[in-house]
Amino acid sequence: MSTLTLNGVRKSFGALDVLQSIDLELEDGEFLVLLGPSGCGKSTLLNIIAGLETPTSGDIFIGDKRVNDVHPKNRNIAMVFQSYALYPTMPVERNIGFGLEMRGVEPDTRKRAVDGAARMLQVDHLLDRKPGQLSGGQRQRVAMGRAIVREPELFLFDEPLSNLDAKLRAEMRTEIKRLHNRLGTTVVYVTHDQIEAMTLGTRIAVMKGGVIQQLADPMTTYEKPANMFVAGFIGSPSMNFVHGTLAREGDTTTLKTDGKDSTTIRLPRVAANLENLAGRKVVLGVRPESFAANASEPDLTGTIDVVEPTGPDTLVVLALGGQTITARLGPKLTVATGETLGLSIHPDSISLFDPDSGNRIG
Amino acid sequence: MAERMSALSQHPPSVWRRLDPAAALGRLSESRYWMYLLLVPSAILILAVVLYPTVYGFQLSFRQMRLNRPDLGTGFVGFKHYIAMWSDKVFWLSLRNTAVWVTFAVIIEFSLGLVAALALNRNLPGTKIMGVLILLPFFLPNVVAGHMWALLLDPRLGVINDILVRLGFLETYKAWFADPSTALGAAILVEAWHGFPFFALLLLAGLKGVPDDLYKAASVDGAGPIRQLRLITLPMLRSVIAAAVILRVIGLVNSPDLLLILTGGGPGQSTQVLSLYAFQKAYKDFNFGYAGALSVVMFVLLMLFAWAYVRVSKVNQD
Repeated sequence: MSTLTLNGVRKSFGALDVLQSIDLELEDGEFLVLLGPSGCGKSTLLNIIAGLETPTSGDIFIGDKRVNDVHPKNRNIAMVFQSYALYPTMPVERNIGFGLEMRGVEPDTRKRAVDGAARMLQVDHLLDRKPGQLSGGQRQRVAMGRAIVREPELFLFDEPLSNLDAKLRAEMRTEIKRLHNRLGTTVVYVTHDQIEAMTLGTRIAVMKGGVIQQLADPMTTYEKPANMFVAGFIGSPSMNFVHGTLAREGDTTTLKTDGKDSTTIRLPRVAANLENLAGRKVVLGVRPESFAANASEPDLTGTIDVVEPTGPDTLVVLALGGQTITARLGPKLTVATGETLGLSIHPDSISLFDPDSGNRIG
Repeated sequence: MAERMSALSQHPPSVWRRLDPAAALGRLSESRYWMYLLLVPSAILILAVVLYPTVYGFQLSFRQMRLNRPDLGTGFVGFKHYIAMWSDKVFWLSLRNTAVWVTFAVIIEFSLGLVAALALNRNLPGTKIMGVLILLPFFLPNVVAGHMWALLLDPRLGVINDILVRLGFLETYKAWFADPSTALGAAILVEAWHGFPFFALLLLAGLKGVPDDLYKAASVDGAGPIRQLRLITLPMLRSVIAAAVILRVIGLVNSPDLLLILTGGGPGQSTQVLSLYAFQKAYKDFNFGYAGALSVVMFVLLMLFAWAYVRVSKVNQD
């Protein structure tokens, strides 16, 4: 187990800046998820931590040791890849024990360690097989066995579940979480799947264009996104954005929506700083589940465009002036397309963003 | 008459559909015969230029056919040529030389090709130009390459002799192809120069298919470049290597052109190989029956080699 510190890590390929001054500090035993769309630099950052790529500038510390010039094999890390990267010619047993073999560990000790890891991951009956004879899930377990058998200071996961089908992915996600609870090793985990990020991470670093947009625990990232990119990236269906202008009417704050069929939304929360924002153009952000059907005292009223029952709940797409919002409502809702629906907004779940910069303002 | 007219006018669209050739072709393309029809042109071609000559060659090897001895006729002679071959010293020498020629040429070409492919796969600056330059020898026809190297190694004018003398490796110019102890070796080096881009090209294509993650994993596990080559690169290239080696061996066994130009099988019989011997038997001695028998032996040997190699390299295992 160890801490990980990144100071001003940059990476450029010619004129292209893939990473722009990344600073990170990981406590012992933390599970950090690097989350972002393709090309945001998350895998490059992971490769730099592993030593598979060199940073253009900046320092990397594992524990107290600066490891910039340390070869990957000497960083005491273990890595799990999306493609599993199992050695095709070796049976499972040698695949798992290969790192130990390279470090000159005695065959007896190695065998004990491999057996232990294989039992933990339930692949002990597959030790004689070649990777080509395994299913996707089994391969992923073997790849994880190869990582844990070394008892590294730091686990690095590079989209390890992306090649699995949905059911297996959920199973392996639980498995990884269980493994982390049991071993307590510090983890850096790269993914573009926000569910994986939310369920696994103790902290999430949301990345875009080589910059960390927000570094926070999962619930903060979800409830108080730092900007519209984070707000839109995390959560499915994603956060609703309504463009409009703030106004004060007596004690209540309202949002007059943009567009020619302008309508007014009452904002239940009166935060202190909102009063100063009257007259300002903003983007209102509300999560779909923060709406509730409310016919008597609605905060907003719109026309139902589409109704999508999903089983546990019903998604209702509502036309609101020229804009649309999606509300996640109860399962047995009896509404039809074309009807008018009144909704109330949960007071604690309102985000306001600056329309120009996209940054959170309240 | 009027009845027939009205009958025609009742079903004009279906009648037209039956007469339209495009529609007929369309219907045919959905039938199960379509697949066989599409294979017919290539099947005819293969029958005409591959199968017929092969069968004819087999048949020839059991017949008398000496163009300069028409008095002997062209009758069936059974295994006469094969029995003659058994006690033909030149045949055994050619067989030995063929083995040496093919083995060393393939080993050198494969090694050079692998080094070139590994270097080109790194995508360093200038590798594109290097890639084209490395492929150049392969673009040269055997005849051109042969004449070029004959001149380069010429005992009086050869620039290589000049360089070796200046560097102190040789005291005087050497007639490489006139000395039985150096002729085959020199020819193998020329062949290696000419043939290694074939391996470089195929191995490079194979290398592009090896996932990068494997090397990353090996790097984290602590395996150095040699181990990575042995445990990842070569096993991942196994089928490409098998295909390349088989193709190259077939090419080398079957084509006499380079040796024909460089040495003509000499001095004496020191660079005589099976393909050249068969060629000379046919077009110098005009003994087509015997040449046919030699070709059949080459054919059988190549079949045996390909079968054994596929078994040994376990290319079909996964």
